[in-house]
Amino acid sequence: MKLVQIAGYLGSGKTTLILALSKSLSEEGQKVAILVNDVGEVPVDGKVMQEYGLEVKDIGGGCICCQVAGNMRKTLGLLAKNYEPDITIIEPTGIAVPNAIKEALKPEAAKFQITFGPIIVLFDTTRADKFLTYDTLIRLVSTQLKDADIIALNKVDAAPEDKIEYSKESVEGINPDAKIMKLSSRTGQGFEVIVKAVRDFTA
Amino acid sequence: MKPKDVNDLLAPISPVHEGINSYGLSCSVSRQKAIDAEELRKFATELMTAVSSACIKAGAKDIGHIKAYIDHDSGFLHADTVGDAGEVTVAGRDAEPINHFKLVVNSVIYGMTKTAVTNATEASLKTVCLKFGLEKKSKNRRPHES
Repeated sequence: MKLVQIAGYLGSGKTTLILALSKSLSEEGQKVAILVNDVGEVPVDGKVMQEYGLEVKDIGGGCICCQVAGNMRKTLGLLAKNYEPDITIIEPTGIAVPNAIKEALKPEAAKFQITFGPIIVLFDTTRADKFLTYDTLIRLVSTQLKDADIIALNKVDAAPEDKIEYSKESVEGINPDAKIMKLSSRTGQGFEVIVKAVRDFTA
Repeated sequence: MKPKDVNDLLAPISPVHEGINSYGLSCSVSRQKAIDAEELRKFATELMTAVSSACIKAGAKDIGHIKAYIDHDSGFLHADTVGDAGEVTVAGRDAEPINHFKLVVNSVIYGMTKTAVTNATEASLKTVCLKFGLEKKSKNRRPHES
């Protein structure tokens, strides 16, 4: 089972991308499961994904990068044992730290023959100014970006070109090792690159 | 007595979550006069706009994500808004006019206290329900604070 994380700050487009990605991978014949975590509240994303016919495990009660990391390990183990997916996509909360999730799952890797796919972090280019200037917000967003294998500059259809360039230069400075790409879930721009990365990338 | 599974224990909240607070509620909503698909979408849109505006008015630095999920016998809707632009997205499966539905609202805001997020969400729901002549019947909530 390959584990893929689609991470990124609140409202960056994770759920929309995962819905499209799951559909595309399923059409290729891959058995896909989704592990979704809403930020300590009454879950919404998992309910929506289930309505679209996807195999979803919802984790509530806190953030899987810290508070409920143990619950995530347990849920993933059950998923691996009972459903045996080829690919499991993790949608963490918008405030989660991706590497903390990966570290928390490493003990399960050998037990359930898990390989780690890419950590894809979405960055909402329409809100770049806030993310890169607001005191504690920049700390969170930078931490997420630093953990990325791939940074998808999302919503490029809705952001002016200068803001996209500003976003690109800024995230390159934060994580020079990540592959940086442009994405629009609305128009489909960049979607095939994401599908290929999920299919082919192994950490 | 069976020992507690270590995986069920809550670990400390990560310090990078500082400044972000949320509030979630679920409730049943009803109206004697049936609500059609168009009006339900309008309700969802106005609810998202109302919560977002109330949070901005109360000093939110960023609307992280406000979401709603509406579930009823023959369909569902989900709505959300992010940032300050006020754009609301509504999608789902429309159905015949209904008299009852279940509603979940989840507000995650940067730069507001938990109490302020709670108050803004509850007050906005009350106002929008009143406008549409809807009665909110029950609720439960699980706030998150960092």
